[in-house]
Amino acid sequence: MALSKEDLKAAILEKSEKSPKPQLYVKDFYACDPEAKPRDIKNAANDLVKEGKLMFWSSGSTTMYALKSRIKNEEGEGGIGN
Amino acid sequence: MAKHETPLLDQLESGPWPSFVTDLKRQAEKKPECWDILGQVELSYKDRITHWKHGGIVGVFGYGGGIVGRYSDVPKQFPGVEHFHTVRVAQPASKYYSTKHLRHLMEIWEKHGSGMTNFHGSTGDIILLGTRTEHLEPLFWDLTHDLNQDLGGSGSNLRTPANCLGQSRCEWSCYDTEECCHQLTIKYQDEIHRPAFPYKFKFKFSGCPNDCVAAIARSDVAVIGTWKDNIRIDQAAVKEYIAGNYPSNGGAHSGRDWGKFDIQKEVVDLCPTKCMWMEGGELKIDDKECTRCMHCINVMPRALRPGVDTGATVCVGAKAPILDGAQFATLIVPFMKISADNEFEELIEFIEKIWDWWMEVGKNRERVGETMQRVGLPTFLSIMGVDPIPQHVKEPRSNPYVFWKDEEVPGGFERDVEEFRRRHAA
Repeated sequence: MALSKEDLKAAILEKSEKSPKPQLYVKDFYACDPEAKPRDIKNAANDLVKEGKLMFWSSGSTTMYALKSRIKNEEGEGGIGN
Repeated sequence: MAKHETPLLDQLESGPWPSFVTDLKRQAEKKPECWDILGQVELSYKDRITHWKHGGIVGVFGYGGGIVGRYSDVPKQFPGVEHFHTVRVAQPASKYYSTKHLRHLMEIWEKHGSGMTNFHGSTGDIILLGTRTEHLEPLFWDLTHDLNQDLGGSGSNLRTPANCLGQSRCEWSCYDTEECCHQLTIKYQDEIHRPAFPYKFKFKFSGCPNDCVAAIARSDVAVIGTWKDNIRIDQAAVKEYIAGNYPSNGGAHSGRDWGKFDIQKEVVDLCPTKCMWMEGGELKIDDKECTRCMHCINVMPRALRPGVDTGATVCVGAKAPILDGAQFATLIVPFMKISADNEFEELIEFIEKIWDWWMEVGKNRERVGETMQRVGLPTFLSIMGVDPIPQHVKEPRSNPYVFWKDEEVPGGFERDVEEFRRRHAA
């Protein structure tokens, strides 16, 4: 049975904290609940952004998700680029 | 007075064409940060490396698209472009603007940004080039409250849908592209403003096979108007063209003397399927062989018109080079009724079926056309519930359209290789 929305959000947050990569694609969250539909996972991740717990990182062509605490702001010299 | 020496860029002004360098210098008189664009680009030409850092966490609240972060990696040298974010503004359907609207847009952009623009980006949006993070929310407020204009899509979102002029100006349009584009834009606001997919997704709407928005080359779902019945022929008008009383191509090539109009040479012989001929002074068309190239209609618009049983062909999977090379969209549905009467139900069902499948199996940064290529057309057709037809075939040897399932073949597909090798040595 698929996780409830709140449990799914908690699993996404846990994945975002523990993943070696700070930025994750939405597909990286699919494993949080293999029974959930991709659309539900996308909605849960987007809800977490709305709640201020995750952030979008966009290259312009692709969008990824990250915990605010794990991502560096590019502003100023020497930040994450490209 | 130039802030930086730009000898390499200056060379670009010496050619016969308008130069972005001249535009930037002019804009720099009003917006001094434009001097730093010139300075940084000059440095890039010298170093042969970009000094832009692309991407970031910038955006406006509630949106996950429409702003693309851009920073300088040498901000101390060029402080004017320390932040130089791109803003994608959704274009109005068919790109109809009033000059008043454009002036207002530019007033807002000069207030909050560099004043540099790109009309239009390849997705169709208005691209505003260069603003600072602290200006994003005020810019968005002014754009939405004063101009009633929204941001477009970027990132892994549905990109701003685009359409041709359609029935607003064009008698060839086989469906109402503006209504279709508008309704789908409204329906998919969440997908436009927040990431939803493994990668970008675009749909574009062209009213006829002339495909004026180049949907077949640029969009994941290309909805291209077509007709099911026969090309309408006005034989009296055909005679007028032959007599030279009507200019061919609507007079589009009349700037030069091309000689007398020759229907055989300029229309009949150029038909790609050879489905037309002259007979007893009349133009005849074997419509079942017509591939909708539009050449004859384009040449003789007063004599020939699309049929009246109209709808659209839906092609899937075009893209510019990303993981693989550029590819055109593949025909999937030869004819679909496109109608506001049923709220574009059939098209919406088709698009959502693609999304559900692609979100599941598409790899990160893989366009739907690449996923199709990876799984093969037969698999994609069966997922879409579309029966294969000869028009799906590219080359019969590599892409057949007759498929056999295990249970349809006597004895199935299982073969005893050892038994075979006893009869046929390797």
